[in-house]
Amino acid sequence: MASEKIKGKATEDSNLKGTLASVFLLGFFLIFTWVSVYFLFLERL
Amino acid sequence: MNETLKVDRRDAKLALAHIYVAFIALALGGLAGLLQTLVRSGKFTLPANISYYTILTTHGVLLGLVLTTFFIIGFQFAAVSRTAGTFSDRVRFWGWIGFWLMTIGTAMTAFFILIGEASVLYTFYAPLQAHPGFYLGLTLVVVGSWISGFAIFAHYARWKKEHPGQVSPLLTFMAVVNMVLWLVCSLGVAATVLIQLLPWSLGLVDRINVLVSRTLFWYFGHPLVYFWLLPAYMVWYAIIPKIIGGKIFSDSLARLSFILFLFFSIPVGFHHQLMEPGIDPFWKYVQVVLTFMVAIPSLMTAFAMFATFEMYGRSKGATGLFGWLRKLPWGDARFFAPFVGMLFFIPAGAGGLVNASHQLNQVVHNTIWVTGHFHLTLATTVVLTFFGAAYWLIPHLSGRVMTKAMNRLAIIQTIVWVVGMTFMSGSMHFAGLLGAPRRSAFSTYGNSPQALEWIPYQIAQAVGGTILFIGIILVLVIVTNLAFFAPKGETEFPVGEVAETAERTPLAMENWKLLIGITVALILIAYTIPFIDMIQNAPPGSKGYKLW
Repeated sequence: MASEKIKGKATEDSNLKGTLASVFLLGFFLIFTWVSVYFLFLERL
Repeated sequence: MNETLKVDRRDAKLALAHIYVAFIALALGGLAGLLQTLVRSGKFTLPANISYYTILTTHGVLLGLVLTTFFIIGFQFAAVSRTAGTFSDRVRFWGWIGFWLMTIGTAMTAFFILIGEASVLYTFYAPLQAHPGFYLGLTLVVVGSWISGFAIFAHYARWKKEHPGQVSPLLTFMAVVNMVLWLVCSLGVAATVLIQLLPWSLGLVDRINVLVSRTLFWYFGHPLVYFWLLPAYMVWYAIIPKIIGGKIFSDSLARLSFILFLFFSIPVGFHHQLMEPGIDPFWKYVQVVLTFMVAIPSLMTAFAMFATFEMYGRSKGATGLFGWLRKLPWGDARFFAPFVGMLFFIPAGAGGLVNASHQLNQVVHNTIWVTGHFHLTLATTVVLTFFGAAYWLIPHLSGRVMTKAMNRLAIIQTIVWVVGMTFMSGSMHFAGLLGAPRRSAFSTYGNSPQALEWIPYQIAQAVGGTILFIGIILVLVIVTNLAFFAPKGETEFPVGEVAETAERTPLAMENWKLLIGITVALILIAYTIPFIDMIQNAPPGSKGYKLW
């Protein structure tokens, strides 16, 4: 019973869509920065 | 030894002593930083023949080594005492010995820098040669920190003995990991100082193997960054959830990220030496791969932070994709300053990936981009988190409370810091991409068109540096108030609780033989062969130079 309650609560609170979106945005920013400097490197070859 | 909600008064005194020295270093080192940016704008000359490189060394050593090490050890003493119980007299005694050794070492180092005998820059690279007193002072700082580290280990061991089969308190575990990391990495700087630099500076030997000394420095220098960063992560993982009224997303995830930092932050020093001849490209590649591994625990931390905030916001009824952001306590400086620190870690981390990539490093190596980078990591992410922690830690230790007016000033301070750093670090990044060198006084390089392009950015750096100095004055006002003048009362030392839904923490996470064994194995894999190569195929070595 107790564990079912906890499971129920977990589903309710574990809507982490905002977290998923945030980490994707973070990932895109990292890739964007890296690629920008990489193109600068290529341009200066 | 009782786990209490309040740090024992005697332990509080020890922690506070460290924090006072840290903020004195901030005042002096910050002033040196301001002068540097003014000189580099080309509009200001230092009086009385003071060298730019003297203030550069002062700035780097006082802020990069003294402010950080003292604040971190003070904070960790308080966190361990709060979560694993009051120290024994013996642990506290050794804590004080560590403090005094570090303080005497700092005074010695600062003295030799200020009299112009040690303008060897923050990284004290050979063949620049300082007075032996400079190296001796730094040795005392490191030895003092080791003693404090062992005091923390002894207290942790006693807790484990008294609580068999139990998982240690999260903050104590984190402090122990950080001190193990520090101990293992500072062996490198101790080796170069004691075996190479000191005998060479004393005139006992004529020449020095520069590549070996630089390699030992960066064996220490990169994990040093994580020694600064992990206490900030301690605040983020274990304290911020309590401040916002939420729960720690996962105790295991927090511990695992710390363990990964221990494994991967040390065998990566070559990414600072990618442009250096004398190191086989294969070993540079191995260490670049390991460097990218160290991004993983930082990304785990980003995920855990977003999740903590979102879970809290949703528990307060937030809806929509980002509605939870509105539920966070924006008016609380204890949250706001570290949160801004977290945000700045995004561009800081992105810059770090650029630095660590071999080809991209060719674009930014030894340019002021790198200075801009660590003013985001250390001087914003870490420092704003430390300021945020000071806003509850100092009044908790001094038996006072932060007034609303001081809280408001702390919010303003954070905003001032953001504005100043955006100007300063932003322009450093752009000037670096245009080739502006770091560690250099103002010069137009014979009016070369490329150097003239940098000047507007250098003026922007001076504007940013001035705003940041105002930020330093504000934080010093707040800290002095919290330590000596704020109303008497009780301030909470916030320690988060783990969410009910989190999995139980496996005890294997505290198997130190395994953790230290893997750490040492990775170091040996990454360093043994290239190090043998550096010694076997060493050039004749260099004499010492004093170019200032």
